[in-house]
Amino acid sequence: MQVTLLTIMEVILMPIVAFIIGLFMVLMMRKLAARLQRRVGPPLFQPLFDIVKLYGKQTQISHGMIHDIGIIMAVGGYVAAEALLPVPGMDGIAAKGGLITLAYLTMVPSLGLALGVGQCANPNGSIGISRALTSMLAYDIPFIIVIFGVAYQFSSTNLVDIIATQQAGGFSTWGISEMPVLAVAGLFAMHASLGKQPFEIYIAPAEIATGPMVEMGGKFLGGLFVMQSFQLYTASVLYVSLFLGGGENWITFLLKSFGVLAIPVVIAYLFPRYRTDDLVRLVWKWPVMLALIGIAFVMN
Amino acid sequence: MNQLDTLLLISLITALISGLGRRHQLIGWATAILLTVQFLALLSISSLGYGGTVIESAVNLTILGQPLSWRFDGLSWFFALITIGAAMASSFFAAGIWAKKYKKHGGNPGLLQFAMSLNVFTMLVLLASGDLLSLFIGWELVSWASLLLMVLAGGIATQWGLRYIVYATAGAMSILAGIGIIYHLTGSFAYADLAAAASTFSTTHVVVLSLLFIAGFGVKMGLLPFHLWQAGAYAETPGPGSAFLGAISSRMGLYAMLIVVFQLIGLGKMIAVEIPFTFLSLRDLLMWVAAFTIIFPTYTALRQNDARYLLAWHGIGQGGYMMMGLLLLDPVGSAGGLLHVFNYATNQAALFLAITAVVYRTHTADLNRLGGLVNRMPLTFLVLLVGIIGLAGIPPMNGFVSKWLIYRSLIIEGMPLLFVATVIGTLGTILSVYKLIHNTFLGQLRLEHEHIREVPWSMLAPMLVVATIIFITGFMPGLVLDWVASAQAALGFTPLAYTLGGVETARGSLDMIWLCGVLFGGFGVGALLFYGGGNKAKRVHQLDNYAGGHFLTADTRYHYSNNFYAGLMHHIGGWYRGTFKWLESSLISIVSLLSGLTQILFHSYHPALFLLITATLSLYFFIG
Repeated sequence: MQVTLLTIMEVILMPIVAFIIGLFMVLMMRKLAARLQRRVGPPLFQPLFDIVKLYGKQTQISHGMIHDIGIIMAVGGYVAAEALLPVPGMDGIAAKGGLITLAYLTMVPSLGLALGVGQCANPNGSIGISRALTSMLAYDIPFIIVIFGVAYQFSSTNLVDIIATQQAGGFSTWGISEMPVLAVAGLFAMHASLGKQPFEIYIAPAEIATGPMVEMGGKFLGGLFVMQSFQLYTASVLYVSLFLGGGENWITFLLKSFGVLAIPVVIAYLFPRYRTDDLVRLVWKWPVMLALIGIAFVMN
Repeated sequence: MNQLDTLLLISLITALISGLGRRHQLIGWATAILLTVQFLALLSISSLGYGGTVIESAVNLTILGQPLSWRFDGLSWFFALITIGAAMASSFFAAGIWAKKYKKHGGNPGLLQFAMSLNVFTMLVLLASGDLLSLFIGWELVSWASLLLMVLAGGIATQWGLRYIVYATAGAMSILAGIGIIYHLTGSFAYADLAAAASTFSTTHVVVLSLLFIAGFGVKMGLLPFHLWQAGAYAETPGPGSAFLGAISSRMGLYAMLIVVFQLIGLGKMIAVEIPFTFLSLRDLLMWVAAFTIIFPTYTALRQNDARYLLAWHGIGQGGYMMMGLLLLDPVGSAGGLLHVFNYATNQAALFLAITAVVYRTHTADLNRLGGLVNRMPLTFLVLLVGIIGLAGIPPMNGFVSKWLIYRSLIIEGMPLLFVATVIGTLGTILSVYKLIHNTFLGQLRLEHEHIREVPWSMLAPMLVVATIIFITGFMPGLVLDWVASAQAALGFTPLAYTLGGVETARGSLDMIWLCGVLFGGFGVGALLFYGGGNKAKRVHQLDNYAGGHFLTADTRYHYSNNFYAGLMHHIGGWYRGTFKWLESSLISIVSLLSGLTQILFHSYHPALFLLITATLSLYFFIG
């Protein structure tokens, strides 16, 4: 009973922590973008203000029940996924799900968003979803090869074990030093999964009027904002857990997570956008090739 | 007469009653209720699903000195449960209001019910078979019964049915050849004799027999490259019939393959057989066949514009997962394969019934002529949603659990490329089912569908029950894993160690109860944020939309459905070359050329010579 209660506490705490860190990640992203574009950038609490502002809008336009439920699924799916992602001192239900479950659970928010956008009956939104799912098909293939490599290397799909093994052995047993090629492929796939430039094909404001977001306003857009903070957090923390030994304590955990995220963000604001088929070709060529080579190293 | 005989007798009576009374008004309900009685009779031997011992039928025949026997074990019970369950859902669905409309459009609902109950009976006979001879008899019965169901609609369905029967006959020949060889080697049709003699078979025998049986049974399963008949044959059947066929019919191939190839000949031997000039063993080859069976049909489904064909193509692809799981031969993977038989059957039944409901109201399954139905048919939408989440294998529905078991086994056994292949299949499924739900239920509602309503309760109730089963068995997979473990034991696998929520092992666990709890907790938080925060949202008309400065009117179609994945098709579109269709048609050409040549030879030039050649060859075949 004690254990169950503790787990429930952790399951409640972990998404809250994730949300706060996620907000700061959004801030970091904007700050980096601003610095690269020689601007000052937003103040510390701007992400939070944005969410409050969006929720506080007077007019809230809904296109139907599924539009609402889509936003709920998009936020709720990530809230649940955070309970599967260990942070220092808290494992949540990571041992009851594992790596594959986490990978598939993060598809729930995407599905929710896709359903919600679908009901808006706006072709721009639907085209955006078609592109988003296509890019998911592209980046998930190298991503899943990377997951295979890591799970095979540590002969477990349990993230808690994977992190514990890396921390016990120190830097030489970290994923990144055991499987450097896979780590590169993983970073590439993670970048594509974030949907930032040059892979922001499904937002594409100039072509399809921001795609999935075209009919989103007020708290609908606010929900997507919350989803984005969770998404940044999930991607970087998962990468840290797989390749950088997780967090020994909160300081190294935060340093690693923000550091990892900074790489795709910097690249994103330095490069323009790809076309859908270019993305598919690029992602299926380089990270898949790298990941397969990485696996060959792991399995020998 | 024991409980098994009772079950088979009730099944026979059901088929007889629905056959004789097929013109009667109430025959639909009568069949559905009789199927329920069959289900209860099956439950009376439910000990088989919980590790009980084999039940032998009291009926024993001897034909030409060969004994024929029937029996039920854990595996038969598991498949019978799915068969009767799927038939019940389809039969109840078809019994009420649906039948009236079907009749008005010239169909005979009684005949449909008869065909379904006949299929159930023949399948039970096949599942109960106790030796190779009764297996073959059951096999042929099933083949012809399903043909009846396929050709019911007439027209194009007949063409697909004929195509099916050509494949099925070829498959049956292959099986018959296999059984002949076994009889030649062992002098008996009994399972036990084959199992005992199998250890003495030479490698050549093992290879030849396995290939003959896998090809023969694989035809029914739609295993590559014998899959071309299936999508059309299942899709063109009247709605509830499609649901039944799609859910279980082709799994009979898997069942027979499990019995003969996995259990009796023994797959262990196939690992030892190396294919010359490759690194592959015979089992690896079969696993790759399974992988391609997953990928190609799934991506063919992605291109379909008819909802029924889309689902039917997925049916072929999902069969590959079952094969893959079982070929892994370890407790986890084989449990995943067997569990997927159940999960997939529930998903496919729900999906086909939901699409049938859409067709009932809109008279079309063309994905480019639908859209926006969610406001008109919300419960059907819900059923389809549950079904697609299950089919795509996303938590929290049951399809995720079986696929998880297969993935985990592939990872731990160290098979990266096969793992990636299965995931590619899953991703393709996600894309394709989103297209399905988007083009039917989301997007813009067409003007002519403005006034349609939800389907009546006689159709909704079975759909909702199936959807509930999908959810509950996803939430507590242990309920089904009970039966799966018994089926594994019957097959001679080590049963999976499971819990109510999934599996618990040192190298990665799954607990769906916790996972679902947390997921729905998350949705609760999401809902609280959404409904609790901000002003109440105002519903607007679908044409109240951002259209880049244009005014939208109802007669303008403002819905994105055609060529849904344009970006992807731009890249992989060229890969669809119809290679298998080309192979099929070239085979047909060769056969017709040969028959044409012999006909010319026979009729016009040398009738005597032809007779001599045929006679010599036949003599050589029979005597030599």
